[in-house]
Amino acid sequence: MSFDFSLVIDSIPKMLMGLGLTLQLMALSAILGTALAVVLLLMRISRRWYLVWPSVTYIYIFRGTPILVQIFIIYYGLPQFEVIRESIFWPILREPFGCAVLALSLNTGAYVSEILRGGILGVDKGLGEAAAALGLSVRQRFIHITTPIAVRLAIPAYSNDIVSLMKSTALASTITLLDMMGIARTIVAETFAPYEVFISLAVIYIIMTFFIQKAFGRFERHMSRYLKREN
Amino acid sequence: MADLVGWWDDFFWGSVVVAQVFFASLIMMVVFGLMGAAAKLSDNRVAQKAAAVYTVVFRGTPEILVLLLIYFGSAITLTGIAHLYDPTIAFVDIPPFWAGSFAIGLIVGAYATETFRGAFLGVDPGQIEAARALGISNFKTFIYIQIPEMWRLALPAFGNHMLSLIKDTALISIIGLNETLFAAEQATGTTGKPFTMYIVVGCIYLSFSTVITLTVMMLEKNANRHLERAR
Repeated sequence: MSFDFSLVIDSIPKMLMGLGLTLQLMALSAILGTALAVVLLLMRISRRWYLVWPSVTYIYIFRGTPILVQIFIIYYGLPQFEVIRESIFWPILREPFGCAVLALSLNTGAYVSEILRGGILGVDKGLGEAAAALGLSVRQRFIHITTPIAVRLAIPAYSNDIVSLMKSTALASTITLLDMMGIARTIVAETFAPYEVFISLAVIYIIMTFFIQKAFGRFERHMSRYLKREN
Repeated sequence: MADLVGWWDDFFWGSVVVAQVFFASLIMMVVFGLMGAAAKLSDNRVAQKAAAVYTVVFRGTPEILVLLLIYFGSAITLTGIAHLYDPTIAFVDIPPFWAGSFAIGLIVGAYATETFRGAFLGVDPGQIEAARALGISNFKTFIYIQIPEMWRLALPAFGNHMLSLIKDTALISIIGLNETLFAAEQATGTTGKPFTMYIVVGCIYLSFSTVITLTVMMLEKNANRHLERAR
């Protein structure tokens, strides 16, 4: 019943061995997810129904179902089909790592797309009108006026989403991956000391959250530096 | 579809459990959120600090980690206590239903704390001053003026918290609750059709999300009706 500090000291280095995997899952899914989000966003704002409609449906489905169910559908579900097992994607889908990255990317893409759309909607209309008056084309306006401002507006929400993504990587432990969470669960199964192990791991995750938020806070200040003159 | 014959009732009862967990955790989320917001807005330094720690911890830790910590932690503690009275008892735990609902309510309550805090701060102080000038007691001002005003401001974010709650219920299958994911797992074991079964789970969650989204839209319309008329 007592809190065993030697176990804490023992288990932290073991769990940190999974830090690399946690970071890989997070970085890969963040990059792929954001790329997907941009595509979804461009489809969403294209005003062509055959592009808007699939994008809206996709976002609705992936935001309306739990990420755990998405992971299970991809990892346990897809091998049900012969076509998938014979396709060129099988080497990726056979591995839990590939499945986890795929599920996390598809999920993050849906959320980030909505965040970026929020950023674009937040851009003052007058700026676009001013740019149009100065003779900038639609494409130039989107790239040079709307995008930089929308990115800045989207940073706080994007940062929260990356934190969510980091927390979701812990679900990879449900499909046998040994990320930090997976290692922690193994240690608890051996020692049956949930408090020591899980609380130590919680501290590690909280520290990671802190650094993610710090980094994005800095990025936001960098992107907002032109606003300082007004103050 | 033919594979699903004989499993519909399992999925139905699983959905009932999901709904029950949702309502149980919803109540806890509101309670924790209001307590957190009250503590953050109070003049008491200790309460402020405690609420700050609460939000930082539960917003920075993976949901699955909190869930496992609460379930296995409480089991260890309860078993330890039970051993003091009767050494023959092997294992005592909190039912997964309650451990899970509590964990989810606690996690989303941390997010709700910020929502409620912001919403209370968003209530025009003039409204409270007006109530005071009319001789309405502090308690009545809180119930009849501050709560309805803050509710209107909190609703959009509150809707998102409810969506988080319903999606987090999927995690409770990990600690052995007999809900839809659990049913899908059993059905897969017999039929060998994992994709079909997990897609059913996805559809169930999508329907829950849709119902919640529509309910929140109606509530928002209702909460803003006094503003509609002014136009």
